[in-house]
Amino acid sequence: MRLLHLVNGGEDLGRSRWFWIGFAAVILALVALPLYQTEFEASNASYYLLNIPLALGLSMLWGYCGILSFGQVAYFGIAGYAYGVIAGNLTETSWGPLVGSVGGLLLCAAVGAIFGYFVFFGRVQGWIVPILTLVFTLLLETFLGQTAGYQWRIGAVQLGGYNGMTGIPPFQIGNFIFQGYAFYFFALSLTVAVYFISRVLMNAHFGKIMIAIREDVLRTETLGYDVRFYQLGVFVLAAMLAGLSGLLYVQWGNYITPSQVGLLPAALPVIWVAVGGRNRLLAVAIATYLLNWINYTLSEAGNQYAPVIMGALLLLVMLFFPRGIIVAIAELRWPWRRDVTPVSVQDRSA
Amino acid sequence: MKMQPAISTVNLTKRFGGVIATDGVDLSVSSGEIRCIIGPNGAGKSTLFALLCGIHAPDGGEILLGGRDVTRLPAFRRVRLGLGLTFQTNRAYHNLTIAQNLEIARRRNSARVDSDALRRYQHAIGLFELDQLTDLPARALPHHQLQWLEIAMVLAGGPDVILLDEPTAGMSPEETMQTASVLRTLNGMGLTIVVVEHDIAFVREIAHRVTVLHEGRIFAEGSVAEITAHEDVRNIYLGRA
Repeated sequence: MRLLHLVNGGEDLGRSRWFWIGFAAVILALVALPLYQTEFEASNASYYLLNIPLALGLSMLWGYCGILSFGQVAYFGIAGYAYGVIAGNLTETSWGPLVGSVGGLLLCAAVGAIFGYFVFFGRVQGWIVPILTLVFTLLLETFLGQTAGYQWRIGAVQLGGYNGMTGIPPFQIGNFIFQGYAFYFFALSLTVAVYFISRVLMNAHFGKIMIAIREDVLRTETLGYDVRFYQLGVFVLAAMLAGLSGLLYVQWGNYITPSQVGLLPAALPVIWVAVGGRNRLLAVAIATYLLNWINYTLSEAGNQYAPVIMGALLLLVMLFFPRGIIVAIAELRWPWRRDVTPVSVQDRSA
Repeated sequence: MKMQPAISTVNLTKRFGGVIATDGVDLSVSSGEIRCIIGPNGAGKSTLFALLCGIHAPDGGEILLGGRDVTRLPAFRRVRLGLGLTFQTNRAYHNLTIAQNLEIARRRNSARVDSDALRRYQHAIGLFELDQLTDLPARALPHHQLQWLEIAMVLAGGPDVILLDEPTAGMSPEETMQTASVLRTLNGMGLTIVVVEHDIAFVREIAHRVTVLHEGRIFAEGSVAEITAHEDVRNIYLGRA
């Protein structure tokens, strides 16, 4: 009962019966996707889905707690590379991919905790934080880029410099290898699970403290909360979710390059989150899926202007829908809606 | 037997560059007292407040809370030891509902809220007329009630001592008097109150004792009558000292 109450709390979009019916219908359509789409299309859908955990992590970090990070892709890359190295060295056993996944997530948590410790316990504030996170990811890109030589190998795995790391094993439990439709279901269930966990977390007391910190750090501290501890907690959580996306990415494409942690990929999650509506998890999830789909469709059509179009979209949304376009749509006065004044926590810091 | 002061400082000193903002302040507020700290602009009231909160670290001296040395403790630890704080600018969470504001304020310290503290909190909620408004976003409250909300939030944490920085700034005379009356009631229920204040009319209403700061030092200390009769205090307020 209490859990249901938390799922249906006020810190995300949608609480009505009709909302949940629509939500169930969309999930059902996603589950039934193999019935009406080819395995290739399902594989593309996996790619759109696998970016969602990273985006949800950034939403909690930035939208709820007020800490902007341009460095989420660093953890995406750390997990991807760590998985490649661990699973690539454990090809003798069928448990290699599982060990690699756990190892990737733990490494993200450890790096996020060390980085976050110095930032938050050093009381670094305001715009210095996003700059530091960006510097961190660019340093990682530069470092990985110069690992081209044969000396840059760990066990049997070459880091590969800008050519990237190739031949990364797919995910596997026992003898079952997750590929094609199976990988699609794997990515879908993880994404939905992460969404629900995030939603419960943001509706719980933890989420309220996130919002309190975003609204006023000093007031929250002088109500007895160790703000640094909460900031570090959400930072590590977001790092691990970015890592989860990175894991899924290399398990999906069997390949990663340093440009995955470069400047453009670093900016994209900020666009997904801002365009959707950064303090509404569902808006972020929808925007991430749709924007990745648009981006892929544009690139596939040979359109080299995809990044320009994405950038223009961000500009337009920020100008006309500063709280996010999905949030704006959700809060329209639909004729059938009775509660037209949602008691929502607005973030007007933008 | 001498009673332990609720909050006190010993030779407290803070410098900003060449300026000595707090210069060897020995303050001692007894348990159950209402103390007002006054002084002209630049007297060092804000710095003293920030030192007592833990926002600034002093360059010398000690701060004791209920006899315990808290000089090196960050603000949140002092709050957990029973210090409640409100600031010059209102810092209630304007975008959250009143219920959410109070819940956030209550949760962290709920273990230290005893029956007396709970009684004070519930009393304040009633006197401040906040009990009927819980689902309203705080930003919908009029200014004076927003100030009251913040005092109620502080009381939710069950403090022994509250430290208020100009709690009636921007209030009408009637609202100021109402605030004074609520604070007196809470004091009667065992709460120690320290107020940094400009408004002498408000100080007259509530203060048991008044401390006058001037150029970072304690210039005079005594009852309201003593202080207002003090020739030199009148001079510094009028800029003649």
